[in-house]
Amino acid sequence: MTFYLQEINRIRSTVYSNEAHLMAVIRTRRFINANFEKELSLEQLARAGFTSKFHLLRLFKRYYGQTPKQYLIHKRIVQSIACLKRGMTVTDTCFAVGFECPSSFSTLFKQKTGLSPAEFQKKQFLQSALAVL
Amino acid sequence: MRVKVISIPVLDQQKALDFYTGKLGFVKKHDVPLTGDDRWLTVVSKEEPDGPELLLEPSPNHLEAARAYQEALFDAGIPYTQFNVDDVGAEHARLTRLGVEFSIEPTEMGTVKIAVFNDTCGNHIQLVEML
Repeated sequence: MTFYLQEINRIRSTVYSNEAHLMAVIRTRRFINANFEKELSLEQLARAGFTSKFHLLRLFKRYYGQTPKQYLIHKRIVQSIACLKRGMTVTDTCFAVGFECPSSFSTLFKQKTGLSPAEFQKKQFLQSALAVL
Repeated sequence: MRVKVISIPVLDQQKALDFYTGKLGFVKKHDVPLTGDDRWLTVVSKEEPDGPELLLEPSPNHLEAARAYQEALFDAGIPYTQFNVDDVGAEHARLTRLGVEFSIEPTEMGTVKIAVFNDTCGNHIQLVEML
């Protein structure tokens, strides 16, 4: 058995020994992945994970390093990048991935990627044009 | 500041290029001749052609310390780096059919599933699926 495999077994038995906790956070993440474009409350996520909302907050942060809300925003931003690359308008993208208003979408997008959705789309367009040349 | 190039040490650049494109499915991005047989050789993911480039770097052939480090990691079974996939099981089955050897079969590890394979160029590489 290699050193790495020994370490994996050791970490799994010490850090990931609670199956119920793991299943709760994995179920919640899958629920977010399948429903990110809808309005999702912490109560709904807690029900999906079969746990209380405050317990879920602690567990999700512990196992994934971010809160369910932070993960939901991350998921929506990743999806919005795909929509913008396909040429969807900023407003259509905003609503398609579950944000409620274009201004908050633009603010979050800029926080996460460093560019506003419009700037991102312009950059994509310029890159495609350059690739053709 | 942006992440553009990530290097991975390889013992044979051509063999590495064949493995990373032919088996793993990466695409060659830059191939610039340097001194001797060395090349500035990078590949990118098909899914993210504008994403970070993986530099297949011949450092173990030129610096004893780099070779010793690579060998020590390999002997300990420690992956040099890791790539994310949507389905570790499917990727394991596909690569096994192509003759790729795994030192760790698909294994659940808390909130991820991992597997580790030999890239035939001196490194173990870990595949990761977020659960």
